[in-house]
Amino acid sequence: MTTTIHNNVTSRKVKVKRNFERNAYTFMRISGVILLFLAIGHTFLQLIINNVHDLTVNKIAMENWSNALRRGSEFLLLIFAMSHGLNGLRNVLEDYVHGKGAVTLIRLGLAVFLIITLLVVGYAIIAFNPDAAAAGVSSIGYGQ
Amino acid sequence: MKVEARIRRYNPEGDKKGYWQNYTIDNADPTDSVLDILHRIKWELDGTLALRRSCAHGVCGSDAMRINGANSLACKTLMARLGSGGSIKMQVEPILGLPVIKDLIVDMEPFFEHYKSVLPFFINDTPVPADGRERLQSQADRERFDDSTKCILCAACTTSCPSFWANGRYVGPAAVVQAHRFIFDSRDEAAEARLDVVGDTFGVWRCRTIFNCTNACPRDIEVTKAIAEVKMALTSGTI
Repeated sequence: MTTTIHNNVTSRKVKVKRNFERNAYTFMRISGVILLFLAIGHTFLQLIINNVHDLTVNKIAMENWSNALRRGSEFLLLIFAMSHGLNGLRNVLEDYVHGKGAVTLIRLGLAVFLIITLLVVGYAIIAFNPDAAAAGVSSIGYGQ
Repeated sequence: MKVEARIRRYNPEGDKKGYWQNYTIDNADPTDSVLDILHRIKWELDGTLALRRSCAHGVCGSDAMRINGANSLACKTLMARLGSGGSIKMQVEPILGLPVIKDLIVDMEPFFEHYKSVLPFFINDTPVPADGRERLQSQADRERFDDSTKCILCAACTTSCPSFWANGRYVGPAAVVQAHRFIFDSRDEAAEARLDVVGDTFGVWRCRTIFNCTNACPRDIEVTKAIAEVKMALTSGTI
């Protein structure tokens, strides 16, 4: 234990055991701050920079989703929103579900749901072809 | 003024579950406490009413009860705080989250088990100062845990906490306040052992910052702030 004194206040370094709950608590704080910027950025781009009246399929496919940076930030928003939200749900459920088996089942279920969602949406974002999408939109004359 | 009291009753020798019983007390004063009214009910109307109290002056912490839906000490809650006019409604029930023994008396043992788990006593194995007198600390160091020294272990905070209601294994706000009192004492040397307890799965991480504990504390301890400081100590490794 190292001790320092500054302005008559003693400050000590202590060894603290890490565990899942501590890591989850820290993750919630960090992801919450990151989400704040991502969500505000998303809202700003989607509703203020782009006029809401221009939010057509064509506009999204041709301009927004052709930008790799934009797609990356949307994917990050999804990752943090899902993991932050599902961990919050785990906290609420574990307040009321006490059995060890049930807790394991809840954690497993939420983790599987998170992974499947991220894989499916991640694939959609990575594999998205803006040119093909725009061509498809043009061919049916929708969203012009 | 008249007090219309609604009291939660339970007798383990006859009742399968608790029930509400109504009493009316006349000629009460706004300066009468809830404990005064309970005494009048017990002494003048129904001697079977069971309650726990000792000093009756907000020091011993024996008479924490759920009064009109919020935890507080019966001896410190005056009729004037419950209402005004010719008639006051007063609802009293035992504090939640602990087993009821009889009427307003709960089994405090689970609460004290959590209290004991945080090692609520001064630990320092180094030799006492050469002059044989006290270990000194600065006023600023003393100030860091001043608030948490005020706890009287009434359990009003812990039994107002929805996390504790949901899961009795949570150490609860009172135990964290007691841990805080010694963790941030510069003279104490067992902070790591205490942080192990309050940093466990059923430690401070169960706190959802609902602030019921801070509102309930009859000593006005900033309980949620103390819990937050312990969380900070656990995440930063600095006390």
